[in-house]
Amino acid sequence: MKPSWIFLVFAAASAANGAAPALTEAEVRAILSHGPWPAQWARDPSNRVSGNPDAIELGERLFFERRLSVNGEISCSRCHLPERNWSDGLPRAVGLEEVDRNTPSIVNARTQRWFGWDGAHDSLWAQSIRPILDARELGASAAHVAKLLRGDRDLSCRYRRTFGSAPGVEDERVLVDAAKALAAFQETLVSGHTAFDEFRDALARGDKAAPALYPEPAQRGLRTFIGKGSCNMCHAGPAFTNGEFHDTGIPFFIRPGQVDAGRHGGIKRLLGNRMNLLGPYNDDAKRSSAVGTRHVALEHRNFGEFKVPSLRNLALTAPYMHNGSLATLRDVVKHYSEISPDRLHSDGEAILKPLRLTEWEIEDLIAFLESLSDGGGNYRRRQFAEDCR
Amino acid sequence: MTRGLLLAASIAMVATAGEACELSGGGAQRIESPHHVVLYRAQPAPRVGEHFVLEFAVCPAPEGVRVDATMPEHRHGMNYRPTVTALGGGHYRAQGLMFHMAGRWELVFEVRAGGATERVAHSIRLE
Repeated sequence: MKPSWIFLVFAAASAANGAAPALTEAEVRAILSHGPWPAQWARDPSNRVSGNPDAIELGERLFFERRLSVNGEISCSRCHLPERNWSDGLPRAVGLEEVDRNTPSIVNARTQRWFGWDGAHDSLWAQSIRPILDARELGASAAHVAKLLRGDRDLSCRYRRTFGSAPGVEDERVLVDAAKALAAFQETLVSGHTAFDEFRDALARGDKAAPALYPEPAQRGLRTFIGKGSCNMCHAGPAFTNGEFHDTGIPFFIRPGQVDAGRHGGIKRLLGNRMNLLGPYNDDAKRSSAVGTRHVALEHRNFGEFKVPSLRNLALTAPYMHNGSLATLRDVVKHYSEISPDRLHSDGEAILKPLRLTEWEIEDLIAFLESLSDGGGNYRRRQFAEDCR
Repeated sequence: MTRGLLLAASIAMVATAGEACELSGGGAQRIESPHHVVLYRAQPAPRVGEHFVLEFAVCPAPEGVRVDATMPEHRHGMNYRPTVTALGGGHYRAQGLMFHMAGRWELVFEVRAGGATERVAHSIRLE
C-alpha cells in the first residue's frame, strides 16, 4: 500500500475516534520503516554451522556450561540471564571480577553488524570468544575449552555431530568452533511482536480500527520519537538501531585517571584480532561478509563513541548506557532532554542537542519505549533427555 | 521493442569534451562540473545502515578519483572509507560506502586531472 493511502486511512480513523491529530505522510513512512518484525534473517555466511540444529543444541549446552570458565563456576548465563531478557540487571557485569561495562542483551544479536559496546568484534562467534578468554569474565583459554570438548563424552559427541569430526588437536580451532556453536544458539533468540508492531502493521495494511488500540500516550511518544526527538536518526529500522556508534555525552571515565575509549579502542582491537572476518576463521571464502571490517575508518571522533543499542525489549534491560549509569528509562529520556553539548567529544558533530521535553512529553516517550517490549519469558530451555552417541 | 533496443535505450549518454559518457544498465544519476561529467548508480539503493556499491563513470577519463560522503548539517562523514577500483576507460567501482543516518548526505567525487582536483558533488536525502 502506498503511504498516501495509508495516510488517508489513518486520518479518517483518527478523526472518527477523536484521537490525536492524523499522522502526516512523512510520519507514516517513518513508522513503517521500523518493521516488519521479526526482520528477515539469513544464516551467517562466516559461520558454517549457522542455522544448523545440531550446532544450536551444542551451543545451548555450552552457553549454560560452567566448566567453560577457568574455575568451573561461571557460564555465559552468569551475565546473560534468560529471565532478565538475557542481561543481568547490574550496572556493570560481574564475572570472576566486575568489568567496566553494562551487560548488553543478546536478544536479536543476529541482526547486528558489530558486537560489544565498542564493536571490537565483527561476528557473533568472534564476540562469543571474548568473554571466555577475558581474565575478568570466564578467564579460560583455548586449551581449556578444547580440553573440555575433547574430554567430555557428550560434548565431544555433539561437536562431532555438528562439525563432522571429533575435536582436533588445534586448540584455537576447537575454541572457534565452540564459539560458532554458541553463535548458532544465540541466533535463535529473537524478541516477539509488540504493541508497537501491532500498530505499525495495522498502518501498513490500512486497518482502520487497529491503530486506535495502541494507547494514546504511546502514540504521542512515538511522534516525539520520530519528530521533536529525532531519536530515529540513530535508533533506525526494525531493530531500532543503525548498528553504528555515537557519543551521547555519557562520561567515559572508568575510574580516576582511566577512560573507556569506546569505539576508538574497539576498531583498534578489531583490526588487530586474527579472529576477525578478514582472518583465517571466516567460513565465507568470498569474504563478502567482511565489507565492514575491510572499510571501517578509525577517526579521532570515535573516542568515547559507543554502540547504538536496539530498543526492542528495552524496558526489560535496566540499567542503561554502556556503563549502566542510568537506572531507569526516565533517567535516559531526561538525559537526552537535558544533554549538555559541552560534554560531547565528537569533533564538532552537530547531532545531539537538549530536547527540552516537558514532563508530559517525557511520560509519553516512556510509554512509547515500553511498548517496544514483548514482556519477555519466551525462552524455554531445551530438554536433552537422550545422550549423544 | 527488442531486448537489444531496450538495452540501448537504458544506456545513459551525455557528451562532454567531445566524448560520449555512458554507464550501461540504466538508472544512472548524472552530475556535472565545469570539466567533468559523473554518471553513477548505487547497488543496492542506499538505505540507513546498509553498505552499498557505487558503479560510476567519469568523463573525460581522469587520472584518478576518490569517493566520499558527508552529512553537511551534522558535520560528519561516513564511518567507512570506500575503496575505488578502476575498471578502465573512466569506469570505476567503489565499495564500502554506508550512510548510517537518515537526512541529507552529500556524495562527493574528487576527480584528479591535469594536476588539478575537481570536486563533483550530489545531494541525496535518505529517510
